[in-house]
Amino acid sequence: MAMTIEDILQKTTDLPTIPAAALRVIQEADLSSCTASTVASTISTDQSLTAKVLRLSNSAYYGLSREIVDLQEAVVVLGMRCVRNLAMVAATYPWMSKALTGYSLEPRAMWTHSFGTAVGAQLIAQRARIKNDDTAFTAGLLHDLGKVALSVWLEKRFNVIVSVAERESLPFNLAEKRVLGFDHTEVGYHLAKSWNIPDTLALAIRYHHAPSESPVKNTFVDCVHVGDYLTMTMGFGLGGDGLHYEFDEDSLDRLGLSFTDLDAIMDAFVHSYHAYDSLFQELSVA
Amino acid sequence: MVTEQTMVGMADIQVIDSKGQLVCLGLGSCIGVCIVDPQANVAGMAHIMLPATFPNSVNDKPGKFADSALPTLISLLEKKGAQKSRMKVAYAGGAQVFKFGENSSKLDVGLRNSQAVAEWLQSSGLKVISSDVGGTVGRTVTYSMDSGDFKVRTVQKGESTLCNLKGS
Repeated sequence: MAMTIEDILQKTTDLPTIPAAALRVIQEADLSSCTASTVASTISTDQSLTAKVLRLSNSAYYGLSREIVDLQEAVVVLGMRCVRNLAMVAATYPWMSKALTGYSLEPRAMWTHSFGTAVGAQLIAQRARIKNDDTAFTAGLLHDLGKVALSVWLEKRFNVIVSVAERESLPFNLAEKRVLGFDHTEVGYHLAKSWNIPDTLALAIRYHHAPSESPVKNTFVDCVHVGDYLTMTMGFGLGGDGLHYEFDEDSLDRLGLSFTDLDAIMDAFVHSYHAYDSLFQELSVA
Repeated sequence: MVTEQTMVGMADIQVIDSKGQLVCLGLGSCIGVCIVDPQANVAGMAHIMLPATFPNSVNDKPGKFADSALPTLISLLEKKGAQKSRMKVAYAGGAQVFKFGENSSKLDVGLRNSQAVAEWLQSSGLKVISSDVGGTVGRTVTYSMDSGDFKVRTVQKGESTLCNLKGS
Protein backbone atom coordinates (compact mmCIF):
# COMPACT_ATOMS: atom_id res chain seq x y z
CA MET A 1 0.00 0.00 0.00
CA ALA A 2 1.29 3.44 -0.88
CA MET A 3 2.65 5.54 1.94
CA THR A 4 0.99 8.86 2.71
CA ILE A 5 2.39 11.98 4.31
CA GLU A 6 0.22 11.23 7.36
CA ASP A 7 1.87 7.79 7.58
CA ILE A 8 5.28 9.42 7.47
CA LEU A 9 4.42 11.84 10.25
CA GLN A 10 2.78 9.14 12.40
CA LYS A 11 5.31 6.37 11.94
CA THR A 12 8.62 8.24 12.01
CA THR A 13 9.98 7.66 15.48
CA ASP A 14 12.48 10.51 15.58
CA LEU A 15 10.63 13.39 13.96
CA PRO A 16 12.30 16.74 14.53
CA THR A 17 10.92 18.73 17.41
CA ILE A 18 11.34 22.30 18.52
CA PRO A 19 11.18 23.38 22.17
CA ALA A 20 7.82 24.96 22.99
CA ALA A 21 9.50 28.23 23.91
CA ALA A 22 11.23 28.46 20.51
CA LEU A 23 7.94 27.68 18.76
CA ARG A 24 6.24 30.50 20.65
CA VAL A 25 9.06 32.83 19.57
CA ILE A 26 8.29 31.95 15.93
CA GLN A 27 4.52 32.15 16.40
CA GLU A 28 4.72 35.56 18.06
CA ALA A 29 7.26 37.05 15.65
CA ASP A 30 4.71 38.86 13.50
CA LEU A 31 2.48 40.07 16.34
CA SER A 32 2.43 43.78 17.05
CA SER A 33 2.69 42.92 20.75
CA CYS A 34 6.07 41.26 20.13
CA THR A 35 8.86 43.27 21.76
CA ALA A 36 12.42 42.64 22.88
CA SER A 37 11.09 42.09 26.36
CA THR A 38 8.46 39.51 25.33
CA VAL A 39 11.02 37.61 23.22
CA ALA A 40 13.39 37.47 26.20
CA SER A 41 10.69 36.36 28.61
CA THR A 42 9.39 33.69 26.19
CA ILE A 43 12.86 32.17 25.74
CA SER A 44 13.47 32.43 29.50
CA THR A 45 10.71 29.90 30.16
CA ASP A 46 13.08 27.21 28.84
CA GLN A 47 16.26 26.94 30.91
CA SER A 48 18.15 24.77 28.45
CA LEU A 49 17.32 27.04 25.50
CA THR A 50 18.22 30.11 27.55
CA ALA A 51 21.62 28.65 28.43
CA LYS A 52 22.32 27.88 24.76
CA VAL A 53 21.27 31.34 23.57
CA LEU A 54 23.50 32.96 26.19
CA ARG A 55 26.42 30.77 25.19
CA LEU A 56 25.96 31.75 21.53
CA SER A 57 25.58 35.42 22.49
CA ASN A 58 28.95 35.27 24.21
CA SER A 59 30.73 33.58 21.30
CA ALA A 60 33.75 35.27 19.75
CA TYR A 61 31.59 36.02 16.70
CA TYR A 62 29.97 38.96 18.46
CA GLY A 63 33.26 40.09 20.01
CA LEU A 64 31.66 41.63 23.08
CA SER A 65 33.94 43.15 25.68
CA ARG A 66 31.94 41.79 28.60
CA GLU A 67 29.92 38.68 29.27
CA ILE A 68 26.16 38.72 28.72
CA VAL A 69 24.54 37.04 31.70
CA ASP A 70 20.81 37.24 31.02
CA LEU A 71 18.45 37.38 28.06
CA GLN A 72 17.18 40.88 28.75
CA GLU A 73 20.74 42.08 28.41
CA ALA A 74 21.23 39.98 25.27
CA VAL A 75 18.28 41.62 23.50
CA VAL A 76 19.54 45.06 24.51
CA VAL A 77 23.10 44.42 23.31
CA LEU A 78 22.46 42.21 20.24
CA GLY A 79 18.92 43.20 19.33
CA MET A 80 15.65 41.31 19.38
CA ARG A 81 15.94 39.90 15.86
CA CYS A 82 19.43 38.58 16.48
CA VAL A 83 18.41 36.87 19.73
CA ARG A 84 15.39 35.38 17.98
CA ASN A 85 17.67 33.92 15.30
CA LEU A 86 20.01 32.54 17.96
CA ALA A 87 17.06 30.84 19.67
CA MET A 88 16.11 29.20 16.36
CA VAL A 89 19.69 28.08 15.78
CA ALA A 90 19.93 26.61 19.30
CA ALA A 91 16.54 24.90 18.92
CA THR A 92 17.22 23.23 15.57
CA TYR A 93 20.91 22.33 15.79
CA PRO A 94 20.46 19.08 17.77
CA TRP A 95 18.46 17.32 15.03
CA MET A 96 19.87 19.17 12.04
CA SER A 97 23.42 18.16 12.88
CA LYS A 98 22.65 14.45 12.63
CA ALA A 99 23.47 12.43 9.53
CA LEU A 100 20.55 11.88 7.12
CA THR A 101 21.52 8.62 5.48
CA GLY A 102 18.43 8.57 3.24
CA TYR A 103 19.78 11.63 1.45
CA SER A 104 23.45 10.60 1.82
CA LEU A 105 24.04 13.61 4.07
CA GLU A 106 26.95 13.18 6.45
CA PRO A 107 26.76 14.44 10.06
CA ARG A 108 26.44 18.26 10.09
CA ALA A 109 25.84 18.42 6.31
CA MET A 110 22.10 19.10 6.76
CA TRP A 111 23.01 21.76 9.31
CA THR A 112 25.60 23.33 6.99
CA HIS A 113 23.08 23.50 4.17
CA SER A 114 20.20 24.78 6.32
CA PHE A 115 22.26 27.39 8.11
CA GLY A 116 23.79 28.44 4.80
CA THR A 117 20.34 28.88 3.30
CA ALA A 118 19.27 30.90 6.35
CA VAL A 119 22.26 33.24 5.97
CA GLY A 120 21.73 33.44 2.21
CA ALA A 121 17.98 34.13 2.47
CA GLN A 122 18.61 36.88 5.01
CA LEU A 123 21.28 38.51 2.81
CA ILE A 124 18.94 38.40 -0.16
CA ALA A 125 16.11 39.94 1.89
CA GLN A 126 18.47 42.72 2.96
CA ARG A 127 19.65 43.30 -0.61
CA ALA A 128 16.02 43.42 -1.81
CA ARG A 129 15.20 45.82 1.07
CA ILE A 130 12.60 43.51 2.58
CA LYS A 131 11.55 44.20 6.15
CA ASN A 132 11.78 41.40 8.70
CA ASP A 133 14.85 39.84 7.17
CA ASP A 134 15.05 37.59 10.24
CA THR A 135 11.89 35.86 8.99
CA ALA A 136 13.87 35.02 5.85
CA PHE A 137 16.58 33.59 8.15
CA THR A 138 14.09 31.35 10.01
CA ALA A 139 12.42 30.25 6.77
CA GLY A 140 15.84 29.36 5.33
CA LEU A 141 16.79 27.44 8.45
CA LEU A 142 13.62 25.32 8.33
CA HIS A 143 13.22 24.94 4.55
CA ASP A 144 14.38 21.29 4.33
CA LEU A 145 12.54 20.17 7.46
CA GLY A 146 10.78 17.50 5.40
CA LYS A 147 14.09 15.80 4.58
CA VAL A 148 14.66 15.09 8.27
CA ALA A 149 11.31 13.30 8.48
CA LEU A 150 11.65 11.53 5.12
CA SER A 151 15.26 10.41 5.36
CA VAL A 152 14.65 7.08 7.05
CA TRP A 153 11.98 6.18 4.46
CA LEU A 154 14.32 7.03 1.60
CA GLU A 155 17.13 4.72 2.58
CA LYS A 156 15.86 1.95 0.28
CA ARG A 157 14.26 4.21 -2.31
CA PHE A 158 16.93 6.81 -2.91
CA ASN A 159 18.57 5.01 -5.84
CA VAL A 160 15.17 4.52 -7.49
CA ILE A 161 14.47 8.26 -7.20
CA VAL A 162 17.88 9.11 -8.67
CA SER A 163 17.25 6.68 -11.56
CA VAL A 164 13.85 8.25 -12.26
CA ALA A 165 15.38 11.74 -12.14
CA GLU A 166 18.06 10.74 -14.64
CA ARG A 167 15.84 8.64 -16.92
CA GLU A 168 13.00 11.14 -17.13
CA SER A 169 15.17 14.24 -16.85
CA LEU A 170 13.38 15.52 -13.76
CA PRO A 171 14.64 17.65 -10.92
CA PHE A 172 15.05 15.63 -7.73
CA ASN A 173 11.91 16.91 -5.97
CA LEU A 174 9.70 15.93 -8.93
CA ALA A 175 11.34 12.49 -9.07
CA GLU A 176 10.66 12.17 -5.34
CA LYS A 177 7.01 12.95 -6.00
CA ARG A 178 6.88 10.49 -8.89
CA VAL A 179 8.21 7.64 -6.73
CA LEU A 180 6.66 8.45 -3.33
CA GLY A 181 3.55 10.42 -4.32
CA PHE A 182 4.88 13.52 -2.49
CA ASP A 183 8.17 15.31 -2.01
CA HIS A 184 10.17 16.62 0.96
CA THR A 185 8.63 20.11 0.64
CA GLU A 186 5.13 18.70 1.21
CA VAL A 187 6.25 16.62 4.18
CA GLY A 188 7.99 19.66 5.64
CA TYR A 189 4.88 21.78 5.12
CA HIS A 190 2.67 19.28 6.95
CA LEU A 191 5.12 19.03 9.82
CA ALA A 192 5.36 22.82 10.03
CA LYS A 193 1.56 23.13 10.06
CA SER A 194 1.39 20.58 12.87
CA TRP A 195 3.64 22.93 14.86
CA ASN A 196 1.26 25.82 14.16
CA ILE A 197 3.98 28.00 12.74
CA PRO A 198 2.85 31.02 10.67
CA ASP A 199 1.80 30.44 7.05
CA THR A 200 4.56 32.76 5.86
CA LEU A 201 7.13 30.20 7.00
CA ALA A 202 5.10 27.10 6.12
CA LEU A 203 4.67 28.34 2.52
CA ALA A 204 8.39 29.06 2.23
CA ILE A 205 9.03 25.42 3.21
CA ARG A 206 6.37 24.13 0.80
CA TYR A 207 7.33 26.16 -2.29
CA HIS A 208 11.07 26.60 -1.95
CA HIS A 209 11.64 24.53 -5.10
CA ALA A 210 8.67 25.99 -7.00
CA PRO A 211 8.31 29.60 -5.84
CA SER A 212 6.08 30.65 -8.75
CA GLU A 213 3.51 28.05 -7.68
CA SER A 214 2.91 29.60 -4.27
CA PRO A 215 -0.84 30.32 -4.07
CA VAL A 216 -0.24 33.60 -2.28
CA LYS A 217 2.43 36.18 -2.90
CA ASN A 218 5.13 35.57 -0.32
CA THR A 219 8.47 37.24 -0.74
CA PHE A 220 10.12 34.86 1.75
CA VAL A 221 9.46 31.95 -0.63
CA ASP A 222 11.65 33.75 -3.17
CA CYS A 223 14.32 34.61 -0.58
CA VAL A 224 14.58 30.95 0.42
CA HIS A 225 14.55 29.74 -3.19
CA VAL A 226 17.47 31.99 -4.09
CA GLY A 227 19.22 31.31 -0.77
CA ASP A 228 18.90 27.57 -1.38
CA TYR A 229 20.31 28.05 -4.89
CA LEU A 230 23.31 29.97 -3.54
CA THR A 231 24.00 27.37 -0.87
CA MET A 232 23.79 24.46 -3.30
CA THR A 233 25.91 26.28 -5.83
CA MET A 234 28.62 26.97 -3.26
CA GLY A 235 28.58 23.27 -2.34
CA PHE A 236 27.43 23.77 1.26
CA GLY A 237 26.10 20.49 2.69
CA LEU A 238 25.43 18.67 -0.57
CA GLY A 239 23.97 15.18 -0.35
CA GLY A 240 23.15 12.56 -2.97
CA ASP A 241 20.59 14.89 -4.55
CA GLY A 242 23.41 17.37 -5.16
CA LEU A 243 22.37 20.38 -7.22
CA HIS A 244 19.66 18.42 -9.03
CA TYR A 245 17.02 21.12 -8.57
CA GLU A 246 15.70 23.81 -10.85
CA PHE A 247 16.29 27.51 -10.43
CA ASP A 248 13.30 29.77 -11.14
CA GLU A 249 14.66 33.05 -12.48
CA ASP A 250 11.26 34.71 -11.87
CA SER A 251 12.19 34.72 -8.18
CA LEU A 252 14.94 37.20 -8.93
CA ASP A 253 12.50 39.41 -10.89
CA ARG A 254 10.03 39.42 -8.00
CA LEU A 255 12.82 40.37 -5.60
CA GLY A 256 13.92 43.19 -7.90
CA LEU A 257 17.36 41.62 -8.30
CA SER A 258 19.22 40.85 -11.51
CA PHE A 259 21.63 38.03 -12.23
CA THR A 260 24.48 40.54 -12.05
CA ASP A 261 23.69 40.97 -8.34
CA LEU A 262 24.21 37.29 -7.70
CA ASP A 263 28.01 37.12 -7.95
CA ALA A 264 28.27 39.93 -5.40
CA ILE A 265 25.69 38.27 -3.14
CA MET A 266 27.62 35.01 -3.44
CA ASP A 267 30.81 36.77 -2.38
CA ALA A 268 29.07 38.42 0.59
CA PHE A 269 27.42 35.12 1.46
CA VAL A 270 30.73 33.27 1.79
CA HIS A 271 32.13 36.10 3.92
CA SER A 272 29.07 36.01 6.20
CA TYR A 273 29.00 32.25 6.47
CA HIS A 274 32.66 31.90 7.39
CA ALA A 275 32.35 34.67 9.96
CA TYR A 276 30.08 32.31 11.87
CA ASP A 277 32.89 29.82 12.51
CA SER A 278 33.21 30.83 16.16
CA LEU A 279 29.46 30.42 16.58
CA PHE A 280 29.69 26.88 15.22
CA GLN A 281 32.38 26.07 17.77
CA GLU A 282 29.94 27.05 20.53
CA LEU A 283 27.28 24.84 18.94
CA SER A 284 29.55 21.81 18.81
CA VAL A 285 30.20 21.98 22.54
CA ALA A 286 26.63 22.97 23.49
CA MET B 1 50.17 5.58 8.85
CA VAL B 2 48.22 8.83 8.94
CA THR B 3 48.63 10.91 5.79
CA GLU B 4 48.89 14.61 6.44
CA GLN B 5 46.11 16.48 4.66
CA THR B 6 46.22 20.15 3.74
CA MET B 7 42.68 21.43 3.36
CA VAL B 8 42.14 24.02 0.65
CA GLY B 9 39.18 26.09 1.82
CA MET B 10 36.93 28.22 -0.32
CA ALA B 11 38.90 30.98 -2.10
CA ASP B 12 42.10 29.50 -0.69
CA ILE B 13 45.42 28.51 -2.33
CA GLN B 14 47.78 25.99 -0.78
CA VAL B 15 51.18 24.72 -1.90
CA ILE B 16 53.04 21.70 -0.47
CA ASP B 17 56.53 20.48 -1.21
CA SER B 18 56.85 17.29 0.77
CA LYS B 19 54.62 14.32 1.51
CA GLY B 20 50.92 14.58 2.13
CA GLN B 21 47.71 15.43 0.35
CA LEU B 22 45.88 18.50 -0.88
CA VAL B 23 42.09 18.36 -0.45
CA CYS B 24 39.24 20.55 -1.72
CA LEU B 25 36.06 19.52 0.13
CA GLY B 26 32.51 19.98 -1.10
CA LEU B 27 32.90 21.61 -4.49
CA GLY B 28 29.62 22.73 -6.02
CA SER B 29 30.06 25.31 -8.75
CA CYS B 30 33.60 26.01 -7.46
CA ILE B 31 36.62 24.48 -9.18
CA GLY B 32 39.51 22.72 -7.50
CA VAL B 33 42.59 23.23 -9.71
CA CYS B 34 45.74 21.23 -8.97
CA ILE B 35 49.09 22.12 -10.54
CA VAL B 36 52.13 19.91 -10.03
CA ASP B 37 55.81 19.99 -11.01
CA PRO B 38 56.82 16.35 -10.45
CA GLN B 39 60.51 17.05 -10.92
CA ALA B 40 60.61 19.80 -8.28
CA ASN B 41 58.25 17.71 -6.13
CA VAL B 42 55.89 20.62 -5.44
CA ALA B 43 52.14 20.76 -5.84
CA GLY B 44 49.51 23.39 -5.30
CA MET B 45 45.75 23.63 -5.31
CA ALA B 46 43.31 26.54 -5.64
CA HIS B 47 39.61 26.48 -4.66
CA ILE B 48 38.14 28.94 -7.16
CA MET B 49 34.69 30.45 -6.50
CA LEU B 50 34.05 32.85 -9.35
CA PRO B 51 35.33 33.39 -12.90
CA ALA B 52 36.68 36.93 -12.82
CA THR B 53 37.72 39.67 -10.41
CA PHE B 54 34.97 42.27 -9.89
CA PRO B 55 35.73 45.45 -11.84
CA ASN B 56 36.69 48.50 -9.74
CA SER B 57 37.07 46.57 -6.51
CA VAL B 58 39.96 45.44 -4.36
CA ASN B 59 40.70 41.73 -4.68
CA ASP B 60 41.50 40.81 -1.09
CA LYS B 61 41.67 37.10 -1.76
CA PRO B 62 43.28 36.10 -5.08
CA GLY B 63 42.21 32.48 -4.67
CA LYS B 64 38.60 33.50 -5.11
CA PHE B 65 38.66 34.29 -8.83
CA ALA B 66 39.97 32.20 -11.74
CA ASP B 67 41.80 35.14 -13.29
CA SER B 68 43.75 35.87 -10.11
CA ALA B 69 43.98 32.40 -8.51
CA LEU B 70 45.79 30.70 -11.39
CA PRO B 71 48.65 33.22 -11.84
CA THR B 72 49.04 33.42 -8.04
CA LEU B 73 49.21 29.63 -7.72
CA ILE B 74 51.82 29.42 -10.49
CA SER B 75 53.88 32.15 -8.86
CA LEU B 76 53.78 30.35 -5.48
CA LEU B 77 54.89 27.11 -7.14
CA GLU B 78 57.73 28.88 -8.94
CA LYS B 79 58.96 30.24 -5.62
CA LYS B 80 59.27 26.63 -4.49
CA GLY B 81 61.40 25.73 -7.50
CA ALA B 82 58.74 24.69 -10.00
CA GLN B 83 59.08 25.54 -13.68
CA LYS B 84 56.13 26.30 -15.92
CA SER B 85 57.38 24.05 -18.70
CA ARG B 86 57.18 21.03 -16.37
CA MET B 87 53.84 21.81 -14.74
CA LYS B 88 50.89 19.45 -15.11
CA VAL B 89 47.30 20.38 -14.35
CA ALA B 90 44.07 18.62 -13.38
CA TYR B 91 40.85 20.22 -12.23
CA ALA B 92 37.31 19.30 -11.20
CA GLY B 93 34.06 20.93 -10.06
CA GLY B 94 31.88 23.48 -11.86
CA ALA B 95 28.57 21.75 -11.10
CA GLN B 96 25.34 23.54 -11.97
CA VAL B 97 21.75 23.44 -10.83
CA PHE B 98 19.50 21.24 -12.94
CA LYS B 99 17.75 22.75 -15.91
CA PHE B 100 15.48 21.57 -18.65
CA GLY B 101 16.86 21.71 -22.17
CA GLU B 102 20.23 22.96 -23.19
CA ASN B 103 19.70 26.68 -22.76
CA SER B 104 22.61 28.08 -20.85
CA SER B 105 22.07 30.89 -18.42
CA LYS B 106 24.27 33.68 -17.17
CA LEU B 107 23.33 32.33 -13.75
CA ASP B 108 25.34 29.18 -14.44
CA VAL B 109 28.29 30.09 -12.30
CA GLY B 110 29.59 26.52 -12.52
CA LEU B 111 29.72 26.69 -16.32
CA ARG B 112 31.26 30.16 -16.25
CA ASN B 113 33.89 28.97 -13.77
CA SER B 114 34.89 25.96 -15.88
CA GLN B 115 35.04 28.07 -19.03
CA ALA B 116 37.17 30.71 -17.30
CA VAL B 117 39.60 28.09 -15.96
CA ALA B 118 39.83 26.26 -19.30
CA GLU B 119 40.42 29.49 -21.24
CA TRP B 120 43.06 30.77 -18.84
CA LEU B 121 44.93 27.46 -18.83
CA GLN B 122 44.83 27.25 -22.60
CA SER B 123 46.26 30.73 -23.00
CA SER B 124 48.97 29.97 -20.41
CA GLY B 125 50.19 26.98 -22.39
CA LEU B 126 50.20 24.70 -19.33
CA LYS B 127 49.71 20.98 -19.90
CA VAL B 128 46.21 19.98 -18.78
CA ILE B 129 46.17 16.24 -18.10
CA SER B 130 42.50 15.83 -17.23
CA SER B 131 39.35 17.55 -16.00
CA ASP B 132 35.96 16.55 -14.61
CA VAL B 133 33.47 19.40 -14.70
CA GLY B 134 29.73 20.08 -14.92
CA GLY B 135 26.82 17.88 -13.91
CA THR B 136 24.67 18.35 -10.82
CA VAL B 137 26.85 16.54 -8.30
CA GLY B 138 29.05 17.85 -5.51
CA ARG B 139 32.68 16.73 -5.61
CA THR B 140 35.64 16.40 -3.28
CA VAL B 141 39.07 16.36 -4.93
CA THR B 142 42.32 15.04 -3.49
CA TYR B 143 45.89 15.12 -4.75
CA SER B 144 48.43 12.77 -3.20
CA MET B 145 52.10 13.82 -3.33
CA ASP B 146 53.16 10.22 -2.77
CA SER B 147 51.27 8.57 -5.60
CA GLY B 148 50.64 11.55 -7.87
CA ASP B 149 46.98 10.53 -8.10
CA PHE B 150 44.34 13.21 -8.56
CA LYS B 151 41.11 11.71 -7.22
CA VAL B 152 37.50 12.83 -7.43
CA ARG B 153 34.85 11.67 -4.96
CA THR B 154 31.09 12.08 -5.40
CA VAL B 155 28.33 10.87 -3.10
CA GLN B 156 26.79 8.65 -5.74
CA LYS B 157 29.88 7.20 -7.41
CA GLY B 158 32.41 7.19 -4.60
CA GLU B 159 36.08 7.94 -5.23
CA SER B 160 37.93 7.34 -8.47
CA THR B 161 41.31 8.34 -9.83
CA LEU B 162 40.87 10.90 -12.58
CA CYS B 163 44.54 10.95 -13.58
CA ASN B 164 48.11 10.77 -12.36
CA LEU B 165 50.15 13.96 -12.36
CA LYS B 166 53.52 12.43 -11.54
CA GLY B 167 54.12 10.19 -14.52
CA SER B 168 56.02 11.31 -17.58
